[in-house]
Amino acid sequence: MSYFNIDSQKARTYDAIVIGSGISGGWAAKELCEKGLKTLVLERGRDVKHNVDYPTTMKMPWEFEHRERMPLEVVKENPIQSKCYNYKESAAHFFIKDKDQPYVQEKPFDWIRGYQVGGKSLLWARQTQRWSQFDFEGPARDGFAVEWPISYNDIAPWYSHVEKFAGITGNKDGLDSLPDGEFLPPYDLNCVEKYFKESVAKKHKDRHIIISRAAHISQPQQIHLDQGRAQCMSRQMCERGCPFGGYFSSNSSTIPWAAKTGNMTLRPQSVVHSIIYDEKKGKATGVRVIDANTKEMMEFYAKIIFVNAAALNTNLVLLNSTSSRFPNGLGNDSGVLGKYVAFHNYRARISAEYDGHLDTTTVGGRPNGGGYIPRFRNVYKQETDFLRGYAAGFGAHRISYNSREGLGEDLKANLFKREMGGWGVGSHMMGETIPKKSNYVALDKNLKDPFGIPQLKISIDYDDNDDKMVKDYLEQMTEMFTEAGFKNIRTSDSKQAPGLDIHEMGGVRMGKDPKTSVLNKWNQMHAVSNVFVTDGASMTSTSTQNPSLTYMAFTARAVDYAVKQMKAKSL
Amino acid sequence: MERRAALKGLATAIGGLVVLPSWASNWNHTTLQPTDLLSAEETPLLASVVDTIIPKTDTPGAKELGVDRFIQLMIKDCYDSKAQETLKKGLATVEEDSKETFGKSFTACNAAQRIHILEGMGLSDDATSKGFFTMVKGLTIQGYMSSEYVMTNITKYEMIPARWNGCVPVNQ
Repeated sequence: MSYFNIDSQKARTYDAIVIGSGISGGWAAKELCEKGLKTLVLERGRDVKHNVDYPTTMKMPWEFEHRERMPLEVVKENPIQSKCYNYKESAAHFFIKDKDQPYVQEKPFDWIRGYQVGGKSLLWARQTQRWSQFDFEGPARDGFAVEWPISYNDIAPWYSHVEKFAGITGNKDGLDSLPDGEFLPPYDLNCVEKYFKESVAKKHKDRHIIISRAAHISQPQQIHLDQGRAQCMSRQMCERGCPFGGYFSSNSSTIPWAAKTGNMTLRPQSVVHSIIYDEKKGKATGVRVIDANTKEMMEFYAKIIFVNAAALNTNLVLLNSTSSRFPNGLGNDSGVLGKYVAFHNYRARISAEYDGHLDTTTVGGRPNGGGYIPRFRNVYKQETDFLRGYAAGFGAHRISYNSREGLGEDLKANLFKREMGGWGVGSHMMGETIPKKSNYVALDKNLKDPFGIPQLKISIDYDDNDDKMVKDYLEQMTEMFTEAGFKNIRTSDSKQAPGLDIHEMGGVRMGKDPKTSVLNKWNQMHAVSNVFVTDGASMTSTSTQNPSLTYMAFTARAVDYAVKQMKAKSL
Repeated sequence: MERRAALKGLATAIGGLVVLPSWASNWNHTTLQPTDLLSAEETPLLASVVDTIIPKTDTPGAKELGVDRFIQLMIKDCYDSKAQETLKKGLATVEEDSKETFGKSFTACNAAQRIHILEGMGLSDDATSKGFFTMVKGLTIQGYMSSEYVMTNITKYEMIPARWNGCVPVNQ
């Protein structure tokens, strides 16, 4: 086997390896390369180059032969991916095929995946809120999971660091529960959203409706122009990939930035099998990779390894990285690897109509979503019969429609006449779920995926706390909607399986004590000092914020620490 | 300065579009191929049905914009076999009703007669006739309103709004 000779081994040796090129892996690549480390970025899917590989980005609606609807056969072959709202003709090519990576649902779990350079950062909903100290204090205060090893002050400067580069639109709202960031100018709430904000404030001093904070360049700064990114054009078709780089993705931002340093080697079609652990050195020495095209197994080596495969795949890689020192998965002395997985509860929705403000409407497009209601339950102290709470989206839109009455010339005349209706209003919940030992992932003992890698067995479910939270959200929102004079209020509980929120987190949690956690406060393995996990797998608890911004900040902070340690020769 | 820089950035971004692959198969009424869902007799019948639902006036009708082919494609690819059956059975009923009521083929009837037949199916107690009417009318409206002609000339689709104002008077 020629690749065992020394020259070949040298050619496959880097300073750092990053597993995954999604939202956190892209950040690891950028930060490591900027600090001068020769970095190998492994991506299991194909390459997707900014602009070049966005085949639908400039397509007109009539150019989609099924008008965005997926053929029945494709839906039947992909029962899981097709549940995602973005699985449509303009974006389905950024999702995996379900057969590419089967898994075992011990309990129903919709595992949504995008395997290509950029991962799901092409498809994400771009919502970016900071965690507050109240969020980090959650587990310790309320007695679940383990205490977070860091506080808001530890991460705050790193939030600033990533926000400035990524470009985050938002308003400085001055709220304890949702710290302000480095914001580009905000988009406006519309008139009915503003009205609702005022209506709620009259009765509930602690409940705020703010404009949502999101990774859109509302006004480019030099740092964005330097990335080749321009102002967001309000197209609201981000999931196709953006020709302007108006929203943040690895593809438009961190990956090309890392490439520009000359220090990055990007290797698509590289499925990571496991991390190599050297018993004598007491460290990880590299990564075993299966080439997706040739199915050949090969090894790459580095001084430090960042694992950013996305939460559940990071668990899978670590569980599959066994050695006599770590028979139950890399760094798993505590036995908690794969356990305490949690997610966000997106089950409940409410909608209504409003017949006020009929003399106003909106024009253009708003790319960042509408309003956002930060968590108001149990922020300062426990006050309900459930733990923690929920954030919510809130939006209003002026209804305009065409009558579909009649046939022939009557119908045609109706279709060409735009009628103005009232306002539609709606909200959805984003609830914190409590990480529990019984919500876990593990390797199936028998079943393998097409690469011969054990299938992941997923056993994750809601509990009583989640049901109570759904009930409370619907009650509170109904009350606030009623107070605002909204009519025809309709509520629903989709009871959707966990996973469809696409906010799965944990399994490789951070903590102070190596006996009960896998990572320390630097996202560094307690037991293997040169392995860092900075994606969703590292999360000790979930709070209610959309998580990506926090992964980005953790990643940049961990790289800074790792490189300083390397320079001090302690790594 | 900032504006110039911004424009430069924009030009760079748009410049990237030149290298977009052209494999993507766009369709409009001239490129859309017929499917094998309907027979040689059924195909013109469906075209006549959609042209009855949305006829040519001073603007094109549904048939001229290829909406009948759009409907065949949708029902073939995105609908289940029951819907495909409803389409075929419904077309047979259109023809039968037409011969029974007016003594001639649907395609030979005048506009008022054709509307009469379709309206009758919409009001029918027969689930297939009613289902046919609802499905074909819905798809005709969808295909017509999302056609290049209508979105370009009538409803003025904007791919790049480049603006947002959350609160403006209705008449502006």
